[in-house]
Amino acid sequence: MKFTPELVFDGGRVRPLTYDDVDALFHLYQHPEIPGQRALENKDNLLRMVDLSVQMAATQRGMMWAIEIDQTLMGLVSAFDWQPSLLRTLLRVDALPALTLAQRAAALTVCMDFMASKYHVRNFGYQWIAGQDLSLQTHLLDMGFSQTAIQRGAWRIGESSFADVVHFTRLLAADKPVAGRLGEQDQQPGQNLDHPSQAQQAQGGAAQ
Amino acid sequence: MNWNFTVGHFNVRLPVSDQDGEALFALLSEQRRVDHIPRLAMTVSAQALDELRRMAMRFETREAAFWLVEGAYDQQLVARIGIQKINWLQRGTQVQWEIVDTLDDDSLALIVAAVCDFCFDQLGLYRLEMRLRVGSDAQEARLQRLGFHYEGFLPAHVEYNDEAMDLALYSFLASDRLEPAQSN
Repeated sequence: MKFTPELVFDGGRVRPLTYDDVDALFHLYQHPEIPGQRALENKDNLLRMVDLSVQMAATQRGMMWAIEIDQTLMGLVSAFDWQPSLLRTLLRVDALPALTLAQRAAALTVCMDFMASKYHVRNFGYQWIAGQDLSLQTHLLDMGFSQTAIQRGAWRIGESSFADVVHFTRLLAADKPVAGRLGEQDQQPGQNLDHPSQAQQAQGGAAQ
Repeated sequence: MNWNFTVGHFNVRLPVSDQDGEALFALLSEQRRVDHIPRLAMTVSAQALDELRRMAMRFETREAAFWLVEGAYDQQLVARIGIQKINWLQRGTQVQWEIVDTLDDDSLALIVAAVCDFCFDQLGLYRLEMRLRVGSDAQEARLQRLGFHYEGFLPAHVEYNDEAMDLALYSFLASDRLEPAQSN
């Protein structure tokens, strides 16, 4: 069964993680963009992360995509703290310095579009940690996010040092979905993207 | 570690599942005491027993701790104050309270300061956050008088009575505490 789709965007694609990505992920985490995050030392944790990425999607707790440009893994889009019944999630991007803001925005957008169309998610949060590249804030505003809160000392960056978290939100105007009985929702037959009825449906990006 | 303590004329203690049901139900069955969370008031006493069991389980996993605050002499329950969604890595937690109307500001300040001190000094937490429904004016005024800082809001964060509700964010940090007076 497959729960995370491959989605294409102008200049690249996002796709589910596989065990083959471990080396590329290890390289990615040598360049942590979140303050306080150390360069990764142990590749074994990444095998577990790939497993978790599948479990998260299967249980609707989160979703992770590799961002690929020219067949090279350049970053990750993660949706976590996904609350399906509240139609909201938090997003995060971990990217190599070479990933441009435009590529980053395009990858985030296709992921948000998928979650909005498939799961009706309409409240996307993004947390910018003080110390991250300031241009990311402008990039989020350009994508339609609004700054709604600054959480003081909400991100731990050392034994006893903390950074502020700036909370951005993007609310979609879409109406709340109307609940229907199982089996009668032809547009949303299930979350398994391997199901034949999903094959022609997925995409913007085609289901893998 | 002793999680129970006394402050002023109040005992602040963890609940006892088979004893506190009635008092907890009396506290949480008034809508105006839980409206800011936002949550519906309890309507049958079995809900209080269920809540007590839930509190015990969440405490066992160190995900949350809820204290009942009662008068030291009359044993009347005046508040429940809890911390939940404790993030031991980030050293932060979310505070929640339900308070009877008769509890005055001075007493509340004393109790909350003691709970904050416990969280900072005994549990090693750094950030206490309260999320409450935007427009809970009385509760927000209380928080501000206690020294909590307004940080903004989380749009459409919970659903309540079929409506998406914004939650206001307040916080109190360990570094917000006044320096303790030097004793001679």
